[in-house]
Amino acid sequence: MGKYIAKRIGYMALVFLIVSFLMYSLYNLIPSDPARAELEAMKSTLKPAEYEQMYQDLRERMGLNDHLVIRYARWMGLYPDVQDQGFNGLLQGNFGYSNFFKQDVIKVIEAPMSNTIFINIFSTIAALSITIPLGIYCAVHKGKKIDSGVQVVTMVGYSMPIYIIALIFMFFFCVFWRIFPISGTKTAGAIYANGWEEFVDMFKHICLPVIVMTFASLGGMTRYVRSSMIDALSMDYIRTARAKGLKEKVVIYSHAWRNALLPVITSIIGWFLSIFSGSVIIENTFSLNGMGKLYWTGLNNLDYELVLAIQMFYTVISLMGSLLMDISYGLVDPRVRVDK
Amino acid sequence: MSKNKKEFFLVRWFKRMFLGARPELSMEEAEKIQTPMRQMISNFVHKPLAMTGLIVFLAIFAFVMIGPKYWVLDLSEQDATLTNLPPSSNMMTVPEAMLKAGIADIAAGNTYGIGTDVNGELYIWGHTRITEKIDIANVPDEVRAADLSMIAAGTDHVVALAEDGQVYVWGNTRLKQDKFGNDMEKAMKKGGKDWEVIQLEASNQFSAIVTADGNCYLWGNGNMADVKIKSKFQGKVAKVALTENEYIALLNDGSVAYTGNKDKNSPFARIPDEVKGKNSAVDVAATAKSVAALTTDGKVVVWGSASKGENNVPEFGAKVTKLYGGRFHYTALLEDGSVVTWGDNKYKQLDVPEELASVKIDRMFISNYQNYALDTDGKLHTWGLKGFTLGTDGLGRDMLTRIVNGGKVTMTVGAISVVIATILGIILGGTAGYFGGKLDMLIMRVAEIVGGLPFIPFAMILSAVIGTRLDPTQRMYLIMVVLGVLSWVPTCRLVRSQILAQREMEYVTAAKAMGIKESTIVFRHILPNVFSLLIVSMTLDFATCMLTESTLSYLGFGIPLPTPTWGNLLNGANNSIVIQQYWWQWVFPATIFGICTICINLIGDGLRDALDPKTIGR
Repeated sequence: MGKYIAKRIGYMALVFLIVSFLMYSLYNLIPSDPARAELEAMKSTLKPAEYEQMYQDLRERMGLNDHLVIRYARWMGLYPDVQDQGFNGLLQGNFGYSNFFKQDVIKVIEAPMSNTIFINIFSTIAALSITIPLGIYCAVHKGKKIDSGVQVVTMVGYSMPIYIIALIFMFFFCVFWRIFPISGTKTAGAIYANGWEEFVDMFKHICLPVIVMTFASLGGMTRYVRSSMIDALSMDYIRTARAKGLKEKVVIYSHAWRNALLPVITSIIGWFLSIFSGSVIIENTFSLNGMGKLYWTGLNNLDYELVLAIQMFYTVISLMGSLLMDISYGLVDPRVRVDK
Repeated sequence: MSKNKKEFFLVRWFKRMFLGARPELSMEEAEKIQTPMRQMISNFVHKPLAMTGLIVFLAIFAFVMIGPKYWVLDLSEQDATLTNLPPSSNMMTVPEAMLKAGIADIAAGNTYGIGTDVNGELYIWGHTRITEKIDIANVPDEVRAADLSMIAAGTDHVVALAEDGQVYVWGNTRLKQDKFGNDMEKAMKKGGKDWEVIQLEASNQFSAIVTADGNCYLWGNGNMADVKIKSKFQGKVAKVALTENEYIALLNDGSVAYTGNKDKNSPFARIPDEVKGKNSAVDVAATAKSVAALTTDGKVVVWGSASKGENNVPEFGAKVTKLYGGRFHYTALLEDGSVVTWGDNKYKQLDVPEELASVKIDRMFISNYQNYALDTDGKLHTWGLKGFTLGTDGLGRDMLTRIVNGGKVTMTVGAISVVIATILGIILGGTAGYFGGKLDMLIMRVAEIVGGLPFIPFAMILSAVIGTRLDPTQRMYLIMVVLGVLSWVPTCRLVRSQILAQREMEYVTAAKAMGIKESTIVFRHILPNVFSLLIVSMTLDFATCMLTESTLSYLGFGIPLPTPTWGNLLNGANNSIVIQQYWWQWVFPATIFGICTICINLIGDGLRDALDPKTIGR
């Protein structure tokens, strides 16, 4: 197992390097000149020749004249910097500088990340606590009216674009009944007496996004749980268990559910990882200051160092997700030997 | 053959009674082999839900593919007077009570009509809401009480003249629409009850009055419109014609003059020679951006910026007696009683009803997109803009046109991306599956990388980075390619796994033994066996691609405005004002798109079940 994991991690590192190189070169397609941008303010005070000299110096100092691969390696932290010959890149924890926010990327990401995690933990918990019981119930009562009803609702939930669901929910909850505020993560200009009040205010704001996210993920997950449960229930050992005279509850929860859990658990783990990445659509629709929104803002304002950093973060998350999924599969199901 | 199970037992008995027993199937028929494809189709056809989905989807598909021929998209289209209109068709529905009482005057606004009957009673119809607070239909009490003689409708205000010479303005009065000039106040006071007004006009935030003694008074939003008159023309004006923000005047001596103070270089100031001289003109009219004059010998001359065909004056069969201007069209009443129209026909302003030929026209009231003709029997004939079936958006564009054309774009993009993805998937998956070894390893690693990338963020980046240098059409192709290139992985995996399974079959061995080329074996022998599965995955991919395209457009990284897609129609919808007040701007696109994706998923699920009988009931 250890060898397998080591192999996978090595492979992950390789993939990460390839993807990051691709992304880095993609960004270098954009015509931009940071050296000129930095000198722009001084341009009027300098003579043309002086300016040109300074510009060339700066280009040299920033390392803009080097080959793409060297610049990439420098950005990654695999090649020494021009000035101090030290390694200072992504691998050393330097995520770059955001031109739009005029701040280090790592600082910019802090607040949105905590918001995103806050929102996603709620929605994941809510979704899991609804979908799993619902899926089991539907599988057990397969073909009954209530099952067909749930099937229709989940069908709608997973076919409809999430932003349309968001619009409909916004119409009813924010405009029609006026239960929740329409956007943002906190009341504008509010001063809180204590942490609890702040929590309540934030909770009120993220309630609707959480409901929408839960509803949207309801469809896929419920169907998944249901079909895997139906599979399990049609097995011979269930008939055996019933024939033994076990209680129906025991048959369902102890015999069938445990086996149905196997495929479900992997997707749940993949799900938990998306807690960090956030949803671009939901955060935009509800103007939540989260990772997705930050990414969108960065792209819209051509703040490429920020976008690149977030993109790298997303890539790591998705690579980790697939690794965890494979490992967990082996852990929950002893029949599967992943290292083969 | 379990068909007869479905029939109600009475029907079965009935059939058996009169048609005799069902003939027994012969051995041959019962054992007839069906190809997997036929099996799948016959399974599919017997699924009511999937069939409903298919029919509804095909209907929507036909609608958005044929529809653009009828609802032609004009990308540059916008009209400030038609913004945010709700679905309606009553813009020219004149109240019965007014018709009964007898019409005295009608003023056609941009989206509403207002009129007085012979008793001085006021009637309003059409869409009258200007903003959330301001509604033309909220007529002040003193106007209700007054005995009105003349009425004029502007873009957001209404002017009415009472018998006692009093002038009333209501509607939007925030931009000085109700601030009369000093000289007019004086004249009004002096004239008192006998103040004789011969013309009352209103246009975009400004209004004009012409009195019998040849004076013209203008008032309204001076920042936007020309509300001044050169003093040398005062006392000589016979009639004025208001464009969107300027005006020209017909003088008492029969010449046309630019009496305004705004701009010497205004296109309206270049009066054509035909109507410059004395006794050369008898009537003037104006559209939003052009003016026209009728010469003494019945000729019509048009000048100004006539961009919508206002200057294509047709040949007249008789002498023109009266000239009227709409927003982008002219209507002329001829000596022989016939009506000729020209200019823009977007809202059917030019389509004069045929019954008009057989009646004698008494008076006509024409403005904006509406035409009202009153015949001598007191019957009213209308033509022009009745309303918008699905409302208009924030730029005054017809939602129905945008939805239909947007659907076409969305579906085209979805279909082409699916084709690209499928072709890539088949080629790569086929190669990987059949040849195996290092090639397989390489392709599957690439697939893993591409499949592992977070889809929406990556598509956003590609569109943002590459798309900045492209024009809208190229950007559309870019989106298709991006979607195709990012979504081939599932197809590739499917094809590969299927081929791995098929490769071991006897027929492949047979083909090999016959010395057939390997590429032929893969693509001609094995692929057809995988085809039914491919159809399922293509159907579901189509939904995904449409969703992704619209999501990207919704986020502003897909197909750029003004090209409509179902995604970017909803782009502006996520703010409370649109959600609450302009519901038609998001409900209709959302509904049709939602139905469409649900249908595609129903079809995909149905196909999957039909293909694999084991999964039925899941």
